[in-house]
Amino acid sequence: MFYWIYDIPSASLAVLITGAFVLFSWLGTFLVRPVLRTFLRKRSDINDLIGYMLSCFGVFYGLLLGLLAVAAYQNFSSVETIVSKEASTLSALVRDVSAYPEPERTNMIWTLRDYTRYVVKYAWPAQKKGLVPEEGNIRMVAFHEQLIEFEPKTPGQQILHAEALRQFNNYLEARRLRLFSVTTSIPAVMWTVVLIGALMNIALVWMFDMKILNHLYLGGFLAAFMGLMIFLIASLDNPFRGELSISSQPFEDILTQLMEE
Amino acid sequence: MPTAVNHAQANRYPKHYSSLRLMACLIVCYLSCVVGCGSDESKYFDWLTPRKVPPKIKLGILHSQTGTMGMSEMSLRHAEILAIEEINASGEFPDVEFESVVKDGRSRQDLFRRRARDLIDRENVDVIFGCWTSSDRKAVIDEIQNPTSIYVLGNKAASKQPLLFYPLQYEGAESHRNVFYFGSTPNQQILPAIDYFLDEQGGNKKRIFLLGSDYLYPKTANYIVKKYLQLKGLEAVGEAYVPLGHRDFAATLDAIRAAKPDLLLNTINGDSNIHFFNAFKASFPDPNTLPILSTSVGEDELRRLPPDVAQGHYAAWSYFQSIDTPANRQFVSKVKKAFGYDRVTDDPMEAAYLQVHLWKEAYRRAKSSEPDKIRAELEKGIEFDAPSGKVKVDPKTHHLYKRFRLGKIRPDRQFDLVYESKDWIAPDPFPSFAFPGWTCDWTRGGLQKGPPPAID
Repeated sequence: MFYWIYDIPSASLAVLITGAFVLFSWLGTFLVRPVLRTFLRKRSDINDLIGYMLSCFGVFYGLLLGLLAVAAYQNFSSVETIVSKEASTLSALVRDVSAYPEPERTNMIWTLRDYTRYVVKYAWPAQKKGLVPEEGNIRMVAFHEQLIEFEPKTPGQQILHAEALRQFNNYLEARRLRLFSVTTSIPAVMWTVVLIGALMNIALVWMFDMKILNHLYLGGFLAAFMGLMIFLIASLDNPFRGELSISSQPFEDILTQLMEE
Repeated sequence: MPTAVNHAQANRYPKHYSSLRLMACLIVCYLSCVVGCGSDESKYFDWLTPRKVPPKIKLGILHSQTGTMGMSEMSLRHAEILAIEEINASGEFPDVEFESVVKDGRSRQDLFRRRARDLIDRENVDVIFGCWTSSDRKAVIDEIQNPTSIYVLGNKAASKQPLLFYPLQYEGAESHRNVFYFGSTPNQQILPAIDYFLDEQGGNKKRIFLLGSDYLYPKTANYIVKKYLQLKGLEAVGEAYVPLGHRDFAATLDAIRAAKPDLLLNTINGDSNIHFFNAFKASFPDPNTLPILSTSVGEDELRRLPPDVAQGHYAAWSYFQSIDTPANRQFVSKVKKAFGYDRVTDDPMEAAYLQVHLWKEAYRRAKSSEPDKIRAELEKGIEFDAPSGKVKVDPKTHHLYKRFRLGKIRPDRQFDLVYESKDWIAPDPFPSFAFPGWTCDWTRGGLQKGPPPAID
């Protein structure tokens, strides 16, 4: 629903989200303050009460935000590891295949080059849009066909072929994990809880009885920090989307290597 | 009295007035940013605006990526993708993006049919660039012209018939309203080569042996050659066909030896050529005594042949990588830069590349990708400066005016150009000496069928 935010540069997105929270907090302060004051000002200890509630609520909400941020970062980091593993396995596969006899060697190198070019030029942009790229699978099938058609003629070729098959299976596993992570993200229900929690935090600040300027500063700081936290979680949430997404650089390096094979 | 004024102002407004004013300014700035985002005319807040994605036009690419034809057809797919990427990068059409939708025919006729259906029904493409073998082409044409899927018959009117752009040299004897053929027909490839060898410059070779794979293209091509030789008062001294993938050529070489030819016309396709050339070299080591004239051996096939067995023999095409023109040097350089420095270009690749550019030219003129409008533009006889030289669409036959070139195989797996037609040659998919009564003119009534030819 909110995937359009990944089309906005990170710095701008941070300003946008933080600003929206601060603005919401300030508007609420101006609009709600007079109404609440008529009801709540009768109690002299109202600030202590709200302060106590806010600190209790803040602990739970802070825990939620903190855990979510850590989970999002860990997910981002693990997907990054998967991509690195995938790229290094592909690189090893290229090395293995380079030692095959002709014409199998050239055919396999060309097929791997075709695949890697597809990953860099087409699969990665598709992943950035949250789409699982499908055409790479056909190229992998083509490579698999070439690999299993090869019949080793010497003991050295037998060892090489067994190693290439093992690397290929490892590669397929890493590739599948990457494709699974394209659509992995924090569930919508969790985002709803986070946003309602933020709203309740800000609403509690509206209830304080203090000078307008202090009220605006206090609410503004709290809202800005919550906005920044939510920006952080949103940026890390979809590892292949937005400016902070995982780069295709490891595959670009392999493509450069393959172009000169 | 400045001091008095300041005091008066201080009394009139609360102390935090300036801070509130600052906050109000911040709110106004922020709201301006957000409102500015939504406005198309916004220049100041472009940094906040999500990137605009132009609408896409899908272009179908249907080749085998797996199976026996996978490697050969990969080159065609690459040439087509290169052309599409070039068009997108040129900025000529800023309002649209051309997206290639690639399907794998898996070297199987039934799957070519199904993938063509997918491209038409699910991907909704207006054009398909694809196929290599004649059987695959005929399956796709059949699917375009006679839709059989439940989806089309039961759900939507079968009115949309996309165009098929076919890039291979082929046997001719075919023309369809929605198909454009960008490879050479026999009168643009095989017959000029025969003429060259019959002539003094080619050595007055009159004893021609016909050898081919056992399927549609070689049989039809050889039928046309036999009729052509009859026209000149000659006759083929022998004819032999081997199955696709055949490896043992001992019996074939015996037949060739017995016929004592002075030219061998080779229409063998695929990996059989490797085994044939090796066996031939052992029996006939001197290519000057009995040269092979191949119609399906290009630069891509040569990389699988040992240079010493193929050197000195000939191939007939419209394009060779060794054509020394700026346009071709640029084309070769683009292919190598995009797909690897060890890549070679050949005639089918060049045709695959130019057919996308010709579609683009028709799109530019029609301002639409609708098949009827594109066809109407192509039928005006669009020309294009291809790497092989200028080509032109023939409105009557939906084929291409192309040059003929004859190449002699070099030790570096490239070709020396030994002959080139003075001008482009008009395509003739139905030569009258082979297909009497058959005519084709899509500007006037289309295909007129004559008596069916007696091809074995």
